[in-house]
Amino acid sequence: MKSKLTIFSIGLLLLLAASFSVAQSEETVDKYSLWLGGYYADSSDYAKKAGEYRLLENAGELVPSFKFGWQSLRPNSSFDLDVDYLDEENIVGRMTSRIGDRYNFDVQYRSLSRQLQQDLLTNMETREAGGGKILTHDLMDAGADYSYHRREILSKVSLLLQRDNNVRFTASHRSILKSGEEQAIASNHCLSCHLTSKSQELESSTHQFQAGIDAEVSKYDVGYQFGFRMYESHVPAPSAYYDEAKHPVNGGSGVEFAPRQLYDDTTLAFSAQPKTEKMSHKLRLKGDLGKGKFAGSLSYSRSENKYSELTSNAWVGAFNYAVTMNPQTRFIARLTGVRREADDPFIDVRDYRVGRTTPSYLQSNFDYERQSSLDRADGKITAEVIRRLNPKMTLSVLAGYNRVDRYSYPDSDDNLVSGTFIGQAKLNYRKGLKYRSSFKYRFEKTSDPFNTFKGLFEERGREILTRNVSASPFFFIFYWEREALKYQNITTEPTDLHEFAWKSTWRPTLKTSVNLGLNAKFDKNGDLDSLDVKHSSFQPHLSLTTAPNPKWSFTAGLTLNSSKSRGPVTVALFDG
Amino acid sequence: MVDYKTKATSLYANANFVPSQRLHLFTTLSYHKSTAEYDPVEMPDITDKLEGDLTHQDFSFDHMHEYSNHDFGSVNLALGFGYLIAAQTTFTFDLEYADLTDDSGTAGTDPYYVYGDESGSWYMIRSGLKFDF
Repeated sequence: MKSKLTIFSIGLLLLLAASFSVAQSEETVDKYSLWLGGYYADSSDYAKKAGEYRLLENAGELVPSFKFGWQSLRPNSSFDLDVDYLDEENIVGRMTSRIGDRYNFDVQYRSLSRQLQQDLLTNMETREAGGGKILTHDLMDAGADYSYHRREILSKVSLLLQRDNNVRFTASHRSILKSGEEQAIASNHCLSCHLTSKSQELESSTHQFQAGIDAEVSKYDVGYQFGFRMYESHVPAPSAYYDEAKHPVNGGSGVEFAPRQLYDDTTLAFSAQPKTEKMSHKLRLKGDLGKGKFAGSLSYSRSENKYSELTSNAWVGAFNYAVTMNPQTRFIARLTGVRREADDPFIDVRDYRVGRTTPSYLQSNFDYERQSSLDRADGKITAEVIRRLNPKMTLSVLAGYNRVDRYSYPDSDDNLVSGTFIGQAKLNYRKGLKYRSSFKYRFEKTSDPFNTFKGLFEERGREILTRNVSASPFFFIFYWEREALKYQNITTEPTDLHEFAWKSTWRPTLKTSVNLGLNAKFDKNGDLDSLDVKHSSFQPHLSLTTAPNPKWSFTAGLTLNSSKSRGPVTVALFDG
Repeated sequence: MVDYKTKATSLYANANFVPSQRLHLFTTLSYHKSTAEYDPVEMPDITDKLEGDLTHQDFSFDHMHEYSNHDFGSVNLALGFGYLIAAQTTFTFDLEYADLTDDSGTAGTDPYYVYGDESGSWYMIRSGLKFDF
């Protein structure tokens, strides 16, 4: 019903816009084109990858389709409509309408189908030698055929309300609707690791709306924009049975294992989707300042998960100033600041062996408040000088500093402060129309990049993994004690980053051009005492475009991408 | 510490040819090859750091680095023509073909990625008449 309503709304919009344009009593030139035909498609073997964005259920059938185009031109206005209907799930349509510089309207509809694959979970199957702990999986919907239909509607309108001050109203809208079926995987707890997969209905919508007004006031351009975005799933979350707690080998000791679980022997919803809303306000101002020009903006946004009632707020400010220092030299300064705060959820975990007779040295409360890593004050300043060295060469040099203060992270009394120095140089060379080339080098040096504190490893160098956090008389380490043994911070963020970019265009004739370039990037983190994290990538590219005569045009290209990452690999111990 | 390597190579060629005012031909051919793999994982020998009997555990992980292997080769071809059969009437023909070869594993001891063997092909022929007025 909703999809019919959406299609009806789009049709109504198109009709209104068309009527509005046609109603003009000016001399017109109208062109129409209609394509009528159909398609036949088929596949062999596994088609979900090769035909990922196709409606495979039509395979082996003759499917009618059409295209329609209408272009209407008047001395002071225009109207364009294009529709390409491939099948019921693959449709592209666009309508644009314009009346001078007073009115612009653009609406698009894009619809596609996407095939989804099924994780067979076959790598989730193992058991310790000797019949010990076990990891198993169950495909409750083996052979399921997952796919979804994605529809996107975009509209944009611009109206000149008053010419003297160039007062202009703009509004835009974007909706993304998805319907279909996808895979959902529930994970049982580790006393008997057990993954179950089942089909999950997919029916979700994202709506985004923006509206604003811009005007010239005195010598300044001012503007305000309001934004709203929401996401919601319209189907209930799937549910799964969570296994009864018991010893993974002998099947006993249920009463001992059960209180170590948040839940067991019950059916619960999982893979639940959030319902989110985001609202924003933005002010813009730009104009002349001294001998230069400035542009600034200030925005506030608030996001909320309506189900969990968790919110985050952000203030973002930006200011740019550009001035021509002399005929060969230009200076640009950029300043941005972000202040973001997110709620810190309270994590309620059952006590260890709750309900059981427990010695005092084993009584533990695992509840905690999770401090959000989104909380931050982020400030960045850059200064760039662009200088024309001679008629063929231009050099720009940029320096900057970015400071991110993640207050209250990882704990409420902490604050992780990252500082990044940025340096960049870019050289442009142009020799007439025949040849042009540019080379850029960028360097970033970061102190204390973001990391997850104590996320990995027990203490390095321990000869024997003996417990040291409990006064219990037992010789073994309790699984929850291992948390306190972790010490290594983990991050993939670098402390040193180097980027190179070179691109060159050669035009031997006016009808032929050759592009050649290379992007390279290397980074590493030198602050991790027992990890060696680094990344490198190289992307050379070559392309040729030629149109030797009016009958022929030809393009060809080659792109390579080679990357390497070095990082730690760890394996969870069953006995953990 | 382990290295994870990815490589992607893309080749494409596109040609348009208009031999006469009635006929327009076009074709696009592309080939894409992508691979990703971990180096073998050499887990440290921790037997002298263990207390208690964990001999039933297997710490070798000989094939663990193969779990995330990718090795895909794909060919995409599109070609077609438009022929003006009468004033304001054009006959069109389009062919699209996609073929993907999954070399990331076998059905035996070297398993494919989590979706299984993804090798397959798909084609579509679309044809019709275009009227301009």
